[in-house]
Amino acid sequence: MPSPRSTASTLALGLAAALALSACGGGEEAATSESGVPLVQAGTLVTCTHLPYEPFQFQEGGEIVGFDVDVVDAIAEDLGVEQEIVDTPFETIQSGEDLNAGKCDLAAAGMTINDVREENLDFSDPYFEATQALIAPAGSGYTSLDDLAGLSLGIQAGTTGAEYAQENATEAELVTFEDLGLLLTAVQSGQVDAAINDNSVLYDFAADNDDVEVTAEFETGEAYGIGVKTDNTELLEAVNASLARIQEDGTYDEIYEEWFGTTPTS
Amino acid sequence: MSTEATQVTQAPARRRVSPRRRGQVVRAVQYAVLAAVVLVVAVLADWSQIRRAFFDAEVAAAQFPRVLTVALVNTVSYTLLGFAFGLVLGLVLALMRLSSVGPYRWLATLYIEFFRGLPALLVFVAIGTGVPLAFPGTFLNRYVIVMLALGLVGAAYIAETLRAGIEAVPKGQVEAARSLGMSQSRAMVSIVIPQAFRVVLPPLTNEVVMLTKDSSLAYLLGSTLAQQELAQFGRQALTEYRSLTPVLVAGSCYLIITIPLGFLARRLEQRTGRAR
Repeated sequence: MPSPRSTASTLALGLAAALALSACGGGEEAATSESGVPLVQAGTLVTCTHLPYEPFQFQEGGEIVGFDVDVVDAIAEDLGVEQEIVDTPFETIQSGEDLNAGKCDLAAAGMTINDVREENLDFSDPYFEATQALIAPAGSGYTSLDDLAGLSLGIQAGTTGAEYAQENATEAELVTFEDLGLLLTAVQSGQVDAAINDNSVLYDFAADNDDVEVTAEFETGEAYGIGVKTDNTELLEAVNASLARIQEDGTYDEIYEEWFGTTPTS
Repeated sequence: MSTEATQVTQAPARRRVSPRRRGQVVRAVQYAVLAAVVLVVAVLADWSQIRRAFFDAEVAAAQFPRVLTVALVNTVSYTLLGFAFGLVLGLVLALMRLSSVGPYRWLATLYIEFFRGLPALLVFVAIGTGVPLAFPGTFLNRYVIVMLALGLVGAAYIAETLRAGIEAVPKGQVEAARSLGMSQSRAMVSIVIPQAFRVVLPPLTNEVVMLTKDSSLAYLLGSTLAQQELAQFGRQALTEYRSLTPVLVAGSCYLIITIPLGFLARRLEQRTGRAR
């Protein structure tokens, strides 16, 4: 005669088995583009990015637009597929986890090429020159990191600017924000005394907002690259070929002009 | 002499404030505190800024219809997926907790303590990146990942609720059913579980409210615009419009779901009380 407990065990076992079976869904087979480059989803080039990063990628009226978006659109066009953008935390983009997990084919997120990231993912050829800059309330007079001794400096998690601040702004109190939007709002509302980030996004923001200004640039000689999963050479070659094409046929200059209002100097 | 004696035995007469008077004073103090707080806020706050930041009608209008057709729909569907998975897993765990097999009990206890003791945010990060890494080659649908992460968190709480519900059914019910010749499992399925279900309905409704709020963590798993839920939708719009109004709009949408659910939970509780 079964005891109440053994009944519970049998029921539990049955349910657990059913659950285990239902959890074993079949994965999709590897998709490819027309040119034979492996993609995580058939017919689409899935891009990981982290919003907002104006003017590289940001949301405007129900769609994601920006410099990087246009560049990757050109790559997708060469592959004969459509771009689909996935917004994901920047930390997991630059650590390579999103690419390894098959969340996306490539990462285009205004991402600076550096050695640490090279270990986690493969970078394309550089497609944009960048450097670090300081943004502060207008008239604050903070023109160097030394001016911020004893004050608070906002940084964005996982960025090269954050790293630069940790090394060079040892006297300031560093406050970490998850994304650029929150970081810039904090400068405007006085939660932090200043913030550090890539120069182009800060200039873009300062142009639209009179209450803040870019007060300093730090020559770091950085360049942005597009990330692909380590050893995904087929896609990397395709990306580099597309970047070379748009540099040559003037598409790159058109895109640059659209988002920065000037032509690239180099 | 006799008067003195009575004075000794009686407590010295003190002037006591009557209870009614005391109640009046306490109420007056409470009102005064409230008035002071309202006054301080009204004087100190920068109302023009607050209106601009939180109540910008144009910005609010711009959030529609997508806040409803995309964000609200996603929040509800993530919540329901997570709850469905959490309910199944929670039932398994609850039965494991009541099992006569030791390792089952220990495993279930371990699971429940583990997931109840962790911030949901960490669970989402771990599942969101861990599961696809652990099962390479399978492109896992985002909805599945959200369902897993939300369900795993919810299951721990649901399991405890269900266990309490099953244990709340009086022993006599099983004994009576058995004496009528029912088998143990038949008694469980047709006598105990239906009664337990009625007991656990209110706390389960509260669990749905909790999962609704936790679904905002889905942003950690990456999302296309079509997959944005309310919290992320609000945050994105906050950047786009440089105004907190979208956050308020998104917040109102949460309340559209959670307030009626809370009301429902209270109603169910009253009904359960009456049925006793």
